[in-house]
Amino acid sequence: MVRVYLYGKLRRFAADSDPRTESICDVPAEPGDTVGTILKRLGIPLEAVGANLFVNGHYADLATGVADGARVGVFPEDMQLLYKWYFRAESGPA
Amino acid sequence: MERILRVNMERRTVSFEPVPADYRERAGRWLTSSIVHDEVPPTCHPLGPANKVVFSPGVVTGTSAPTSSRISVGGKSPLTGGIKEANAGTGWARRLARLGLRALIVEGQPSDGSWWLLRVDAHGAAFERAEAWSGRRLSDMFRDLYGRFGGPKRVDICAIGAAGEQRLAAAGVCFSDQDGRASRYAGRGGLGAVMGSKGLKGIVLDDSESSDVTIADPVTFDAGRKKLAAALAEHAITKPKGALNTYGTAVLVNILNEAGGLPTRNFREGRFEGAAKIAGEAIFAGNQERTGAEVYNHACSPGCVIRCSNTWHRPDGTDHTSCIEYESDWAFGANCGVDDLDVIAELNLLCNEYGLDTIEIGDTLAVAMEAGVARFGEGARAIELVHEIGKGTPLGRILGNGAAFTGRAFGVVRVPQVKGQGMPAYEPRTIKGIGMTYAVSTMGADHTSGYTIAPEILGVSGKLDPLDPHKTDLARNFQYATAFLDSTGHCLFIAFAILDIGSGFEGVIEECSGVLGASWTMDDVGRIGKAVLDLELDFNRRAGFTAADDRLPEFMAREPLPPHGGVWDVPDVELDRVFAP
Repeated sequence: MVRVYLYGKLRRFAADSDPRTESICDVPAEPGDTVGTILKRLGIPLEAVGANLFVNGHYADLATGVADGARVGVFPEDMQLLYKWYFRAESGPA
Repeated sequence: MERILRVNMERRTVSFEPVPADYRERAGRWLTSSIVHDEVPPTCHPLGPANKVVFSPGVVTGTSAPTSSRISVGGKSPLTGGIKEANAGTGWARRLARLGLRALIVEGQPSDGSWWLLRVDAHGAAFERAEAWSGRRLSDMFRDLYGRFGGPKRVDICAIGAAGEQRLAAAGVCFSDQDGRASRYAGRGGLGAVMGSKGLKGIVLDDSESSDVTIADPVTFDAGRKKLAAALAEHAITKPKGALNTYGTAVLVNILNEAGGLPTRNFREGRFEGAAKIAGEAIFAGNQERTGAEVYNHACSPGCVIRCSNTWHRPDGTDHTSCIEYESDWAFGANCGVDDLDVIAELNLLCNEYGLDTIEIGDTLAVAMEAGVARFGEGARAIELVHEIGKGTPLGRILGNGAAFTGRAFGVVRVPQVKGQGMPAYEPRTIKGIGMTYAVSTMGADHTSGYTIAPEILGVSGKLDPLDPHKTDLARNFQYATAFLDSTGHCLFIAFAILDIGSGFEGVIEECSGVLGASWTMDDVGRIGKAVLDLELDFNRRAGFTAADDRLPEFMAREPLPPHGGVWDVPDVELDRVFAP
């Protein structure tokens, strides 16, 4: 299972969208999963997603691999306040 | 013609001087750091008569340039012992510029412990006694002054609170916001204590009979202003009802928490289980619940189009405090293990009332919790401790001198500070780039020294691999670009838009050129930023700083930080290369 934490206007894709709690979706992992495939499976349009994507707290992108047990954090495009050049995006298979 | 107002607190005299030719292009941080460098002996006691407090609005402050009402405050810091520039967004900056003052320099000190208020208008400057407000809350003082001199539409106020009067190193300089609240701070580095050491309780500015700021080349200025305004209006983060306008800077709480870089319980952990309860989204939701309406944020100062300044409301819908910035929210929240916004709001309010830097006090409370003075998460006790500072009890005086001082007083080793200044809300073991900035900044641990700025603009790669030698360039160029922006009068947050929308950055350059009658280009960003940093580095060197001061605390190299388990491992040699490539 992959646990996806959604923020801002993406919280509506979770069962509990109260912003004072954690808006979580649990998604069964499939071989070859990436942040992008997980989001598609949740029905989240990729254009609503910003550059602040995290896998297990590491700065990521849509191509970053996601393995079973991972924590994925997704912020919408209007919340990408953290400058990407502070981090090295970890792309590729998990 | 622009002038410099020199205020002597020993003789209580004022003089208006022409701006020296060397300073013709300098304003904001460039000018405060120039004057401190040129006039303050680096080895002087920061609370003695030789230190000065210098105020300067930025190049475009006072004009119609958007989001440009910043005031820089400079001096030798009693917290770090080095040079300090702290800046704030306030209408006070705009009025100083409209009064034709490129700088206001406060020097000397009275020998009799007297307190003074300075009032400046188009006709000159005059003193009056200020003992009546000594020890009182800043909101009381502001209310009295607005009653006397006209409301927030006519005057703006700069003042110190009880902490500055006690010359405590965590004392900030407070400015009025547009609604007359005592809420906008040049908080860091203890400049409120320096002002207190001069017997200066406050400065009231009335520009009602002043004329507009002179713009040498209105066509170029106007073209630039429009480009910047368009970029700010278009960008998802800075536009109306964008992230900053909706959630405030505290939008960053959830982001840093997700990244594992939200310092928690005195920098013991990088993720806080209560983050969602204190984040910008929770502030928006809480306000909506308590007021029955969507509450978008307000402008801290005239002409700001980003409008990121929030107000937290009490359960009955009345105002509790403004503004709970990301840093304050984190400092009293995650860093103290507190997940209750009402407690955070009360701590923020008390810092505003007593004239304290919220970052330094949040760090200090966490160090005190580490020492067992309170338990992590014990909000009521944290509130009592801040009252101790306001009252000036012996414990309060220890806490009011900041995290490093408190750590020494209680024998605590885990003290997150550099050059004596407490760390802000980004964990350096997770975000190595900002750790480098903390280490080498002329200001001590300071997130705004190199917070933003597109490396592309300065010709460096956006990639920050911990082993990448280019990161020293990045740390340096971040700081140059920030020093440039701090000199324009613009808020650092315009960076969000001008990084992504290049014409916005061009606009900033054109605005400045238009005001000064200069012909700056993008190349001047690096030139000016380097000039500012060189002055500050030279001051600090002569004050006795060495490479050994450009280091993070030892515990960060030793203690792995959950959830990532990383330690601070940037080699010293790389830190030393930042300003000596």
